[in-house]
Amino acid sequence: MLESRRRSSRVILQIILTILVIPFVLPLVAMVQGSLAGSGWGNYLAVLSVPELPLFFRNSALIAVATIVIVYVFTMLAAFGFAKLHIRGKSFYFWLLIAALTLPEVVLLTPLFATMTSLNLYNTYWAVILPLSALQLPFTVLLARNFIDGIPDELIEAARIDGASTVLAFWHIVLPLTRPIGAAIIVFTLLGAWNDYLLPLVFLVDPSTQTITQLPQFFVGQFSNDQTKVLASAVITALPEVIAYLCLQRLFERGLSAGALK
Amino acid sequence: MTSSSRTAETADRAQGRGAARRRSFLRPTGYAWILPALVFSVGLLYYSVGYTGYISTLNWNGTAPDVTHVGLANYAKAFGDPVFWLTIQHTAISFVVTFTLSTLLGFVFAALLHSRPWFGGLYKVALFVPVVLAPAIMAPVFRQIFANDGQFNWLLEHIGLGALAQPWLAQSGTALAVILAITIWGGTGVSFILYSAAMGQIDPEQLEAAELDGAGNIRRLVSIIWPNVRGTTLALATLSAIGALKTFDIPYLVTVGGPNFATEFLGTLIYRTSIPLGQVGYGAALSILLLVIALVMAIVLNAGRNKRGARTDA
Repeated sequence: MLESRRRSSRVILQIILTILVIPFVLPLVAMVQGSLAGSGWGNYLAVLSVPELPLFFRNSALIAVATIVIVYVFTMLAAFGFAKLHIRGKSFYFWLLIAALTLPEVVLLTPLFATMTSLNLYNTYWAVILPLSALQLPFTVLLARNFIDGIPDELIEAARIDGASTVLAFWHIVLPLTRPIGAAIIVFTLLGAWNDYLLPLVFLVDPSTQTITQLPQFFVGQFSNDQTKVLASAVITALPEVIAYLCLQRLFERGLSAGALK
Repeated sequence: MTSSSRTAETADRAQGRGAARRRSFLRPTGYAWILPALVFSVGLLYYSVGYTGYISTLNWNGTAPDVTHVGLANYAKAFGDPVFWLTIQHTAISFVVTFTLSTLLGFVFAALLHSRPWFGGLYKVALFVPVVLAPAIMAPVFRQIFANDGQFNWLLEHIGLGALAQPWLAQSGTALAVILAITIWGGTGVSFILYSAAMGQIDPEQLEAAELDGAGNIRRLVSIIWPNVRGTTLALATLSAIGALKTFDIPYLVTVGGPNFATEFLGTLIYRTSIPLGQVGYGAALSILLLVIALVMAIVLNAGRNKRGARTDA
């Protein structure tokens, strides 16, 4: 983009870049540094020896996996229907779904609270998985439909003429072709579920069902506000996410910026 | 495959069946395919919104059996509530500030990193890790950094700006700025990635031509690169607006909406009213108002986008 033929101008660009990026790195440095203050690595040992810790991770993983399965299956079916099949009043149904795109989860709290309590789902994973999936679907369907729209009709028609049913055409032609967008949807849903704070806060009260986003609060209580241990717990919960991102950089970048891919 | 499709076509035509018939044969009805997503998502969400609308006409604490119907009184209460107007103001400020700064920073980073600096991959990781991390996990870190004895004041003192050191989160005048800074910290990575992708699509010949015409770096950024990525800028405006309306985690966890409502957003106000305070009816009325704002905004932004005929090229 910018021309930097001369070495000096290249150095200047590098310096500007470095100065601009420092504010983005400093909070992470402060986090690690703060977590090692006081008793040093002892903070980590104290956090890791809390018996509930693995439960928080297990709960987050369970919720994320269930949400991904629901979102992926429903998204792919609906996106194929919307993109390639005949549906009377299709655009009406589509807009019905898309209108929910801007729905903030906070407006669902009261009705869901009343409903989940009467269905005996309060304080179960379903109380988080169901609204989380429902909120992700409008967006993921939009993404997948736009992608499947780009697959030529002829491919599907040809398969049907060769005797394949719609189901087979979907399974053998559409699904393999949607892998890139499917991966982006999975990563997007994974992070949405893993990082969600409000739904677990309201619907999961028992520490044995809570998720990792509740950990900082849990540790504030556990270590009577010992900041160094709270920060150590933040590092421990952040680490899997950072590692996953470093391993799957492209997928994460595509999944998280998918919000503007319309 | 082509031959078989041609045979089917001719067979169709030979039997005198119209294109409509052929179409319906090739495009079977798809209700069954969209039904699960519709029933589940539209069902759950619209049911909740409808239920919220009903609750908004009640005076109710959410659990007690006695319920009073109060009509639109909760809405009247909202319009007369100075905190409600404060949250609207904060949402607007948040949208303008975070959109402007994240967009500008993302654009500059994308341009700089497209110029092949040394260790470009490291810079990208530094920008994107904040996007990946949960705000809920970073909240205690930021509370610590901006505390009176936190690292930010320490840094100010060590670079000779000790006079500026202050309890950032405890004053109404500075708390919102900190909340916005945290939001920008976590959002710039997305605008960077999108601009980066959009810049990759710009025709290099256009840039070379400008260079031959003697356009400098700044001139090319402003006159060629910026107009070429306008679709991305519009998409980011939509994202920031949705983000501003959904704001909850950061102000709730870092400042609990305080001090003195200085960082109260619609999300935190609705949560506090509905759950800890148990004024479910009033919280529901605020929710409906939030939905109306979101819907109006979506329509306005969508109309603006279609009018300009802009498309995201990211």
